[in-house]
Amino acid sequence: MLKAGELRAGSFNRLVIMDFGVKLAFDLLAFTSVMVLIVLGLGVVASMMGIFNFAHGEFVLLGAYTVFIFHESGLPIWAGIVAAPFVLALFGAALERSIIRRFYAAPIIAMLGTYAIGLVIRETVRGLLGGHYKSIPEPLPGVFTIGDLDFSIWRTVIVITTLVVIAASWLLLTRTSIGLQIRGSLENPALARSCGIATPRLYTLTFAFGSALAGLAGALIVPLYQLSADIGLRFLVQAFLSVMLGGVGTFEGPVLGATAVGATAAGLPWLVIPVLADPLVFVIALVIVKFRPQGFITQGRL
Amino acid sequence: MTAILSWQTRRSSKVLRILPIIEIATLVVAIAAPFVLSERLDLVTLATNVLILSMLAISFDLCWGLSGIMSFGQALFFGVAGYVIALVGRDLGFSHIWGTLPLALLSGFVLSGLLGAFLLLGRKTPTTIFVALGTLTGSYAAERLVSGWQYVGAGNGLSSIKLLQAGSYEFVEGMAFYFLALAVLLVVYIAARILMRSQLGLVLAGMRQNEERLAFFGYRVQLFKALVFSVAGAIAGLAGALYSYHQGFIGPGNMGPGLSTTAVLYCLFGGTGTLIGPILGTIAVEVITYALADIDAIKSIWPVVLGLVLLAVVMFQPKGILGFFVSDRERVGSYGARPQDGA
Amino acid sequence: MTSSKEEKSASGAPARGLSRRQLLSGASALSAAGWIAGTSGGWLLRPNWANAAGPIKMGIATDITGAIAPSGNANWQVAQFAVEQINQAGGVAGKPIELYLEDTASDPKIAVGNVRKLIQERKVDVVLGGITSAMRQAIKDPIVNRGRTLYIYPQLYEGQECTKHLYCTGPTPAQQCDELIPYIINKLGKKRFALPSANYVWPQLLNKYARKVIQANGGEVVFEEYYPLDQPEYSATIGKIKDGKVDCVFNTVIPPGLQPFVKQLYESGFQRNGGVLSCVYYDENLLNYHPAHEMEGLYSCLDYFQSVNDPFSAKLQEAYSKKFPDTKYLFTAGSASTGMYRGVKFYEAAVKQTKGDLAREAVSAAMDKGKIADGPGGGAEMVPGKMHCKMNMYVAQCKVDAGKTRYDVISKANMVDPKEC
Repeated sequence: MLKAGELRAGSFNRLVIMDFGVKLAFDLLAFTSVMVLIVLGLGVVASMMGIFNFAHGEFVLLGAYTVFIFHESGLPIWAGIVAAPFVLALFGAALERSIIRRFYAAPIIAMLGTYAIGLVIRETVRGLLGGHYKSIPEPLPGVFTIGDLDFSIWRTVIVITTLVVIAASWLLLTRTSIGLQIRGSLENPALARSCGIATPRLYTLTFAFGSALAGLAGALIVPLYQLSADIGLRFLVQAFLSVMLGGVGTFEGPVLGATAVGATAAGLPWLVIPVLADPLVFVIALVIVKFRPQGFITQGRL
Repeated sequence: MTAILSWQTRRSSKVLRILPIIEIATLVVAIAAPFVLSERLDLVTLATNVLILSMLAISFDLCWGLSGIMSFGQALFFGVAGYVIALVGRDLGFSHIWGTLPLALLSGFVLSGLLGAFLLLGRKTPTTIFVALGTLTGSYAAERLVSGWQYVGAGNGLSSIKLLQAGSYEFVEGMAFYFLALAVLLVVYIAARILMRSQLGLVLAGMRQNEERLAFFGYRVQLFKALVFSVAGAIAGLAGALYSYHQGFIGPGNMGPGLSTTAVLYCLFGGTGTLIGPILGTIAVEVITYALADIDAIKSIWPVVLGLVLLAVVMFQPKGILGFFVSDRERVGSYGARPQDGA
Repeated sequence: MTSSKEEKSASGAPARGLSRRQLLSGASALSAAGWIAGTSGGWLLRPNWANAAGPIKMGIATDITGAIAPSGNANWQVAQFAVEQINQAGGVAGKPIELYLEDTASDPKIAVGNVRKLIQERKVDVVLGGITSAMRQAIKDPIVNRGRTLYIYPQLYEGQECTKHLYCTGPTPAQQCDELIPYIINKLGKKRFALPSANYVWPQLLNKYARKVIQANGGEVVFEEYYPLDQPEYSATIGKIKDGKVDCVFNTVIPPGLQPFVKQLYESGFQRNGGVLSCVYYDENLLNYHPAHEMEGLYSCLDYFQSVNDPFSAKLQEAYSKKFPDTKYLFTAGSASTGMYRGVKFYEAAVKQTKGDLAREAVSAAMDKGKIADGPGGGAEMVPGKMHCKMNMYVAQCKVDAGKTRYDVISKANMVDPKEC
């Protein structure tokens, strides 16, 4: 976009470029964190139960909506953000018990069923919001400054939370007995059952966990965007592609996939015009999945 | 119609067949409807819309009911063909029926052929999930591309589309357009019916039951699927063109996952794999939606109700409305069972 | 529900059509469902003298639900408000105005069908409405061409709409840019412009005009870029603003992509380092979409601000807030409300001219030379043959007092030419 003359006039020295690189890296990291948070829950459920949850975007929405309700009723926003994952965990568990478990044998039917659930949630929230966009302020607004650079405090919080969540999930899966049970029933459900592991209970737990992650994601991102009924839908297709890209059945896969998709989505507008960048992300991801259907991660499956 | 009836009777003459009765009843109602409604132009317009959307539903039924492809992207072909004829009208000033409808058919066919080849063919057999997400992604990416592309009107879509012409006659909303749409739908329906009853249809029915077995017989199963997918795409394209002419408007939303999933809803609601089911589903959903649009208390929760209906159908009545009237024997005997996990 | 059978038959309108779709059923049930605050349809009951002549049927097609519902609802309220005033003053040429609402739902796909209902079933004499350009382009064909009905479009927009029988009562790019941009360049000394935009036709054409004015005044456009309407991430844009040393962001990004953009721009320290944000569609309503500190210092240029204090506007605001106490849908310019008011008044003036003749050609001919003495921000006057009107324009800046935003009017230009068609 810049002409050569303008570049020269702009005293483009090395320091500026470096500052700029740091800033760009931070922005990419922040957006990627958002993607990872959203994808993690989706990936866990897809890996464990073989279900692609079309309602995942609406779980994100519900997380955001929980924060909104807290805000409306005069409670502190951070309390809403803390509460959101628990609300969603309960909601997810109830949904799994009543509906989702009927779908385990048939992944396509599961897609349709979860799509319907998503539609119900989305349209209900749309009705409740009256079709409006709601703005929710960050609990920690503003920026902090290092050198000449400003960093958004809230985006930093998101990045840190994401790292903590990844670490905690990983520890949970690899270091605890419940993690062992989960990995066992993922590897061989029949054998796990015969060893006395209650797989239905595990499935409920996993689904609740996935929902909680979605709720957390929604609660954290809503101050960055406006709350509207479509807030989750916006990320859904990208999230699906991330899971496929990373590889279903692994923990690292979706995280890597989300990183790839998030970084591409935020970075591609630098290379091509933004309107083209947007659909291009999908095309690139789909082509990669086509030619590498097993995903990035094939070794060391959970 | 009689040709189809004779097919039916040859297959099992002893059982009372209900489907043909429903088919004929629907046809009679469809022919009579505009005369009853003739004083209410808006209702004729609605009925025409229903006929056009029925084609989209049939197109999805061919994918899912006939060949077990869960397509979340039928609107892609619908929308692209709609854009193509809108652009041909705008830039070339051409809208004669003998040229544009075949063009729409062709663009739907080629595009779905390409997408089908990409998704379905290849060394490794793709998973059903990949195909489902692939069609969804295709439709979503296309919607976003079009909504950013100035030449095709970007987010505004294309409006003031040149009217469809036959000779010097121009089709506006009303009786003439209704019967045009009905005629096209009838042709599409009979063609789809023949396809379903053909040897190809039989192979596909076998494939839905056990894909591996059919592969061992030497059938190139994925190729058959891709073929049906292309035909379905062509039908969707035809519908898209008619929609475009009828509405005088086509926008990015007409090729996105929103409309794609609406087609899924029509089809599941009516009853998959029956061809007439999707038409009944479309009629039911669209007419109820229109009627309820006046009752505002319900209007605002109507999408929620639609979602609940879809959920209920998926969970409790996977055979759709037709499942209540048509015996399993008639459905399953002729069409094969639903694929349980889609291989 | 406010209508009754006798009135229907008295009007001579096709009773069958009306018995099912009742007059104003939209509005009253919407308010019952909590979608519209504080409306009651009672006032639209036709006065007794209505039997003398058939009513004028005015169709309002606006976005009651969906992404831009706040603007649409404001439009609808202003239409009710203006029509009520006219009916109370005896109607137009002895005829009362009847209002019919159809929701365009912020979705052209749905709108096309709904607008057709106005035309085909309710057979209205005129349609007012549409907010986004996408909406106008989608519904103008069913109204003007296929529907052979007069259409009045109330929103500020990109210009170049020269369809016969389609009148625009909102500001054009010339009206918005000719005052604001020279002010920014000459008075504020900002010369390096960035034009980040939502990707649709309004920003494209507005930017084209703005670029001309910027260059004519010795400024320069560093970049002009278009984003998907719901883009959630703008680091690339912010980067370009920083290293292009941009000092004025002439923004045409719209919600929902706007919120993250403004936030990221603010966080980048653009305003603190002396940058100027301007946004020519931003009115009092829209300021509330953002935390106040992100809005401070924003420049806008519109045909009316609430701080414009001429007596007529003040009286209008007072009557409006009396009719809709505590409404969240303000009578402002950016939401097309002022254009809607002007549209209704222009139509009233035209029908007065034709002495109650509602035929499209006649009304349209009268509209073409239309003139209204008063309105929010001043009167307006159609430029004959151009289907656009001259109006007063104001440049204003957003100020923040104790977390509350307001606009301070900086300058006024009288009867600015729309320079269209």
